[in-house]
Formats: sequence, C-alpha cells, structure tokens
Amino acid sequence: MLNRIFAVIRREYLAHIRTKAFWISTLIVPILMGALMIIPAWLATRGAGEFTVAVLDLSGKFFDPVDAEIQQYLGGEDEPLSIILVEEDPGPDIAVTRERIKIRVKEKAFDGMLVLPSTLPDEGTPEYVAPNVAAFRLIEILERSVNNVMVADRLTGAGLDPDAVSELTRRVGLKTLKLGKGGEETRDRGQTFMLAYVFVMIIYMTVLMYGMYVMRGVLEEKSSHVVEVIISTVKPFELMLGKILGIGAVGLTQFLIWATLMAAISAPGMVSAMGMGDIELPTIPAQLLVFFVVYFVLGFLLYGTLYAAVGAAFDTEQEAQNFQFLVMIPLMIPLVLLFQIINQPDSTLSVVLSLIPFFTPMLMFLRMTLTEVPALQIGASLVLMIATILASAWIVGKIYRVGILMHGSKPKLKDLIRWVREA
Amino acid sequence: MDAILDIQHLSKRYGDHVAVDDLSFSVPRGSVFGLLGPNGAGKTTTIRMIMRIIASDSGIVLLDGEPVDDDRRRIIGYLPEERGLYKKMKVLEHLVYLGTIRGIRPGEAKKRAAAWLERFELDEWATNKVEDLSKGMQQKIQLIGTILHRPPLLILDEPFSGLDPINTRQIKDLLLNMAAEGVTIVLSTHMLPQVDELCTSICLINRARPILFGSLDEIRADYGGNTWRVRSDLDEAGLRALPGVTSVHPLRDELLVELDGGGSSHDLLRALIDRGNVETFTRFIPDLENIFIRAVEEDRAC
Repeated sequence: MLNRIFAVIRREYLAHIRTKAFWISTLIVPILMGALMIIPAWLATRGAGEFTVAVLDLSGKFFDPVDAEIQQYLGGEDEPLSIILVEEDPGPDIAVTRERIKIRVKEKAFDGMLVLPSTLPDEGTPEYVAPNVAAFRLIEILERSVNNVMVADRLTGAGLDPDAVSELTRRVGLKTLKLGKGGEETRDRGQTFMLAYVFVMIIYMTVLMYGMYVMRGVLEEKSSHVVEVIISTVKPFELMLGKILGIGAVGLTQFLIWATLMAAISAPGMVSAMGMGDIELPTIPAQLLVFFVVYFVLGFLLYGTLYAAVGAAFDTEQEAQNFQFLVMIPLMIPLVLLFQIINQPDSTLSVVLSLIPFFTPMLMFLRMTLTEVPALQIGASLVLMIATILASAWIVGKIYRVGILMHGSKPKLKDLIRWVREA
Repeated sequence: MDAILDIQHLSKRYGDHVAVDDLSFSVPRGSVFGLLGPNGAGKTTTIRMIMRIIASDSGIVLLDGEPVDDDRRRIIGYLPEERGLYKKMKVLEHLVYLGTIRGIRPGEAKKRAAAWLERFELDEWATNKVEDLSKGMQQKIQLIGTILHRPPLLILDEPFSGLDPINTRQIKDLLLNMAAEGVTIVLSTHMLPQVDELCTSICLINRARPILFGSLDEIRADYGGNTWRVRSDLDEAGLRALPGVTSVHPLRDELLVELDGGGSSHDLLRALIDRGNVETFTRFIPDLENIFIRAVEEDRAC
C-alpha cells in the first residue's frame, strides 16, 4: 500500500514541480517578499547621507543657534545622517536672493532652502523650500531644531537663564524595544510587524494556491477520465492522500528554495554587495520558522482535503466556483481579523480565534510572532487542527469516492450530504 | 468448469433504479468471454462491482475461487469504459506509473513498457507528452498500461470504441495472441461482429438481468434449433409440403427449413434426394445479431 501511495505522491510531485507556474511563483515571491522587507529598511535609511541646506536667516540671529541645535541632535543619535547648514547673505533685495538660491537648489548645489522670517520668534512661519519634500527625516530634524531654538529664545526673552532653558527644553525621545523570550530587549522599528504580516500572507497565499492545485488535479483526473483506471488499483482514499501529500511536498520544496535564497541574500556582505548600503534586515528566529512550516502543513492538509472534495464533486472549475468560494471564506476571515489580533494578541478573543482550526494556521502563527504564546495554547491548537484534519479527511474521503465517478449533473449541498451518508 | 471469475447474485440499485438485478455467471478459465447487452443494461456497473470501484448491494465476486479484495483485484488487467491518461505526462513515464501502482518495480515496468511501445511502433513517441498523441495511439497506450503487469485475467470495457479498422485489427490480434497464451479475457461490448470473431462464451444482460449465458457454440445451436439451409430442386411450397417441416423462409439464394421438434435431418435429406437434386444442405447457425435481437425482444415480451 505504501509503495502505491508513494508512486502517487511521486507522480503528483513531479507533475507540479515541472510546471512553469511553479518556477514563476518560486522566483516571484522572494522578489516581492524581499521588496517588502528591504524597502521599508531602505526607506528608513533613505534619509542617510549628507544634506546641504541653504539658510536665509532674515532675523540675523538664529542661524548659529539652529545650526548648533541640529549638530547637537545629530551628534547625540546614532543617526546615519549629516546636515550642513550654509548661511546665505539676504542681500539688499530679499526676493532676488530667494530666487537666486532657488536656482542653486535646482542646480543641486543645495538640497533645500530654509527661510527664517525676520519676525521670529514672535510670529511668522519658517519655510523649507526643496524639490524633494519627502525627505521626512531631514524635515523632521529641521522642524524640531528650529522649534527648540524658538522656544528657548522666547523663554530667554521671558527672563529665564539660558542654561536653565537648555536644561528645561531637553528633548525626550521614545525608544521602542521588543521584549524577547529570555527577557532580552531588542531595538524594533516595525520589523516585527512587517515580518508577521509577510509570513501570514505567505501562509494564506500558499495554502490557497496549493489547495487550488489539489482541486484542479482532481478535476483534471475527472475530466480526462483517467481516474477510473487509477482507482481500479489504488483506493480512492489512497489516491486522494497521495495527491494531497505530493502537492504539499511541492509546497515544502518551494519553501526550501525560498529559505535558501533568503539565507543567501541575508548572508553577511551580500546586501552591501548589492549596493543597498547598511540595511538592517529583520532576523527570523529558527523556532518561528519551524512553526511556520508546521502551520503551513496543517493548514494545507485541512484546506487541501476540502478542495479535493470540491474537485471531486464537480466537472469543471466554473461549476465548482460557488463551493470553492465557500472553502475560501474561512481562509479569508483571518485576513480581516489581522489588525484586531495585532493590536491585542493576548486578548481572550484573539486566543479563541487562534484556536479555531480553520483560522489557526494564520492567526496562531501571527500571535507567535507578536507575543509569547503559552505552550498549552500551541499544543491545543495542534491537537484541534489534527483532529479536524482527520475528521475532514474522513468525510471528504466519502464525497471524493462517490464524486470522482459522477459526471454530468451538478450536485447540490444536500447531494454531498447524501453521498457522505451512503458511502 | 474451472471458473477464473464467478459472479453470484450480484445486485445494485441507485435509489429506485435497479442497475443490476441478481446477476450470476461465471467466466471459464482461458475463455474469451463476451459480456453483452444493450446500452444501459448494467454491463459497466457489473464490471465496476467486480473491480470494487463501486460497492455491490448484495452478492459476491469470486476470483480464483476466493472473494475478490483490494489486493487480489490487482491481478486483473482492467480497461474501463471511462478511460483516459494524464495529458501532460510523458508516454513512457505514464506507462511506468501505471505499472508501478499495479505492483511492478519501476525498472521492470520501464523495460516492459519500452518493449510494448516498440511492438506497437510507438517507441519514437516515448518521451512525448500524452497530449501529442492521436486518439488511436492513446488508446493503445491505455491497453499497454492494462497488460503491463501480465494479468491472467483481462476485463476490457468497450475496447474497440473509437478505433479505426487498422487499430481495431491490431488490438484484436493482440487479444487473440494473449488468449492463445492462456489469458482469460472478458469483453464488454455491444459490437457483435467482434464478439463473433473473438468470444467463446457470452453472457447477455438485458434490463439488469442475464437473459442468455453459456458457450457461444451451444447458444447458436439452441437458437438455430432444428433449422437447415437448403438449396435443391424443390421450391418453398414443395418444401413446406414435406412431413415434419413447420416453416420455410428464403435466406439469400437458399431456403431455411425449420423442422418440428421430432423431425430428423436424416428424413428431410432423404425426402429431398427422392424428389430431385440437392446442392446444399447445412445446419443453420444464426448470427449473433439475430440471437441478440431475438433474446432481447423475447425478454421484453415477458
């Protein structure tokens, strides 16, 4: 029996791994995933580099304090950014000077122009003129520094001691740290969320994609009439099992290729060799990868059997559409719940939702990336999923057995129930 | 009789529809057995029950004297009516797969498949995808897949449907060869010329029940009854006047003379010779089509 199931697994595996679709999705997903992970990291450091800003100080007294404030700020942070302020003489006609500097900005002699009105600090709004106003990190620093200088000036003007002022207006930043398992604290700038999101999407996409492969495979066997030849030697359940396992193995192969590509990309020196500069890539704990595979496998087995039933019950994909959608709904619900879980991964609602077998692969895994899920809950989720898979395989096996020999009439839900009862 | 396959009281109903009703027959070892019947008579359902593809409501199927089970059924080479191949698979690989699930080692399956492809002059297609092949070629591939594990019993459901005369001839020859080697072949078909040519025994099913069963020679003799094909100096009226003759019908350039139950051919021939020349005098063997139609009509009448 094992030999035959193995022969079926082997056939399914080879049939799918030789398709163009497999290789295209194998190559495109890491590119998308890489883009999803690298672009935010790259964006975060996009401000990196040297900025030269022309300052038109109409007040005549704020250039030095602003410059000092900026340099002090940059010096205190592990900021990959440097800002050079160049004071420009306003000249007799301010409007002319403004135009002159604007031309120089266009010529890229400066990255931008900061205009400090003469009415500061009491009224007036400083202006920043630049072709690229999206350099948000630079603008943030400029805004904060100018603001600090103005506040300090007003306070000094109100009679406070300048030293006391600088002491009183000292900035307090917020540093985000992720608390790890062993109590360690790691710097996190949103990579955790990104990682969780990317992985959950991969589980969603692959379970859906490989589930559909199962359905199409069953439909193909029906429409090409090959199925009766096969089930005269292989039991229908063995054929179904072999098909699901073979296609699942294709999925795991794809993950293996992805993991190898990822390892190659994140190898030391690789990123900088690609000219990406010093990018901080999120690191993926090994334990999480193991559970990723476990939840993919369980999710695929559950949805794969359901898709096998849909394939067996109908003759064409068009006919199968309604039922196919019915199977897809429980797979899509977690996507809607994603933000709910991300905000409160430990709430009772989150725990309960993540224990529902149809949602477990995505939601339990999501919670694991966000929080410390108690081992008991993980264990419970695994037991519940396996029990559901066995139950669904048992029911689906009956639908499959009857369905694969049915042609012509489009069955309704009550027919499927009758098949289960009679088979 | 040594029966390789013994079907006893097999029944199957789908809701109110009776597909097979208390069907019993046995297939003699080494015979070419025709399972005949009009469309919808229950032939395919019967075969599917023999192959355990669908479960019977009652009755048993004995293979070599023992109930057939999931393992034992694998010695049967089965070509279903609903047949097909994986279109995207390569021809040789497909054959190896079919052999492997029937329990042959992949290496051995490959050797045998290659030999068969050569015999059917399909070896140049071995690495082509199945979908590149013509329908006739695909059907031959299916037949090769069916016999790759050298089954002692073949069950073929409508094996000649959709084949041109040349391919039909080729497959017929192959089946006759296998029969000569001692392979038992069960043919389900409604194409009677092929049955006439190949089969030694038949079972005719109509309306879910068997109405005719036995060796083809015996059945022919039964249906021919006491009927003789005659060409002589006597005309129809003259023959009808002879003692013991119940009816006379023309059949091409001869006359069919039916005698009553007790009438002997000896007396008839003597009477003919007494009255003139006798050119031909042979026993009438009805062709299968006549038997088939007559049996089905008689069944409908009762």
